[in-house]
Amino acid sequence: MLSSTEVRRSRHARAGREPRAPYRPAHLVIYLFLGAVALSSVSAFAWVFNVSMKTNSEFLVSSPWAVAEAFRWENYANAWNNANVGLFFGNSVLVSVSATVLGVVLSVFAAYPLARIQFRGSGLVLAVFLLGLMVPWMVTFIPLYLTLSDLGLLDTRIGLILVYATYNLPFNVFVLVGFMRTLPRELEEAAAVDGAGPTRTFVSVIVPLLGPGLASVTVISFLQNWNEYFYALVLIHSKDLMTLPLGLFQLGQAADYGTNWVTLFAGMMITILPVLLLFALMQNRITKGLTAGALKG
Amino acid sequence: MYRTAQRRIVIPFLLPALALLGVFFLYPLVRVAVISTNEFSRTGKSTFAGLDQYQRLLEDPSYGDALVNTFMMTFVGGCMLFPPAVAMAWALSQRIHGERFFRFVVFAPVVLSAAVVSLMWKFLLHPTLGLINPALESMNLGFLAKTWLGDPALALPAVAFVLVWQGIGIWVVLLSAGFERLPKEVLEAGRIDGAGEWRLFRSVMLPMMNDVFRVLIVLWVVQSMQSFAFVWIMTRGGPFGSTEQVVTLSYRTAFEFGDLGYAAAMGIALVAIMLAVALLLNRLLKRDALEY
Repeated sequence: MLSSTEVRRSRHARAGREPRAPYRPAHLVIYLFLGAVALSSVSAFAWVFNVSMKTNSEFLVSSPWAVAEAFRWENYANAWNNANVGLFFGNSVLVSVSATVLGVVLSVFAAYPLARIQFRGSGLVLAVFLLGLMVPWMVTFIPLYLTLSDLGLLDTRIGLILVYATYNLPFNVFVLVGFMRTLPRELEEAAAVDGAGPTRTFVSVIVPLLGPGLASVTVISFLQNWNEYFYALVLIHSKDLMTLPLGLFQLGQAADYGTNWVTLFAGMMITILPVLLLFALMQNRITKGLTAGALKG
Repeated sequence: MYRTAQRRIVIPFLLPALALLGVFFLYPLVRVAVISTNEFSRTGKSTFAGLDQYQRLLEDPSYGDALVNTFMMTFVGGCMLFPPAVAMAWALSQRIHGERFFRFVVFAPVVLSAAVVSLMWKFLLHPTLGLINPALESMNLGFLAKTWLGDPALALPAVAFVLVWQGIGIWVVLLSAGFERLPKEVLEAGRIDGAGEWRLFRSVMLPMMNDVFRVLIVLWVVQSMQSFAFVWIMTRGGPFGSTEQVVTLSYRTAFEFGDLGYAAAMGIALVAIMLAVALLLNRLLKRDALEY
């Protein structure tokens, strides 16, 4: 058994990090600076939470600093049931989960031949996928609207799912091809010697080894689909089909909720919390993945 | 023999993904170019118009204004983004306590929807009910309290600020990676020669990170020119068109006026201009590689 100091040391060694520098007075400046940044961000969230616990008249009359008089969870129930946030939440879950699963499954299949099989035109096909990382999304919204309208998919959840899955593909393929190329060549040879065909090799040997790469693309795709606003605005018009970002926006515009602030704030908290929770659980993976994703465009 | 068997799976494995990409990305990409050479009437009928739509762009003052605002958003946002991002990345590279917590807080807005962040800040910036103005007043800085999103002179910087607030985490992570790649020996040598941390930062670290800055600035230009959600939700391009971007103008032209051909031409022209600016900046910011 390893003693705890040994474990800690090996952790440091694995991360390749030097131990913390001894405290120096200059560090006080750093703490003050980062502390101020952190405080301002945290207080923005705290304020939204605080308002979501107030009543409308309390929000109007009391100072923005005043702590809510009581925990009014009924604001959340109200947002969920009467303001349709529950409906939007269901749509968001359905659309993001389906699009993510579809996008990830298709890109795992597509990435395998591109990474491991030599065939004529493989470079060209990969370039076509990577083109999707380079072209700004905003050029295609008009033809996309017309194309979905031609296919009868305008203002349907299935249309939105197909579009989201498509726009996840380039990044997923890019990451998975890179990941698959790092696996040893001998894997396929050994499987072939044992008599497995290529499909069998892919399913039983390659896919089980994709764990970390698969987790990254799944989480990143999900976050992007959960947060997406522009295509939802262009493609979805019925209130019943709206996802959370679009639904909340529409709620903020609507006359009856334009003055019903606390319900809107409760809706914002409902949208924010699952994502922050996910981020807290998988901070490193999400940070790395989203940063790599930002390099596109 | 196994090779031949392998080749047989290439097409079935690639086909589903390529089909989606073809229908929802490649075909629209070709079609947008076609649309931009057409004139659409109210009834949805289109007639070929050649390059007339592009001609219109040149004479349209509202497109010119939107283009200027788009560049202003990039410039003002860039000024708000890079100095604090560099400072934070440097501070986080100092092996301090609570690094994980600080990284969490700085990066958290990135995982949130731009739509929700915009909605949240629309309220935070509300002149009387929000948080910013009362906060300023309580610090006796009441003269700084403004109707942020309602003032044509302030709306654009205010929107740019929210854009930066949401995205800064990504830039901090990218810059931290830059700081961590700096060769330790060079920094040690500087310390032995008696350089203070500030001197080291200014005269050694910043010049060595020139390449990182160049890439990030180009990336910022490309991304910030497409900030649709922030503008659309917080100001809708107003007040008096002071925050109108090419993307919002294009959306409005397409869906409020049904002028699809013109809207498509606006988008294509913006992408062309954006790429030209990105290439130009890339060229201008290129310095001779430092030898170390």
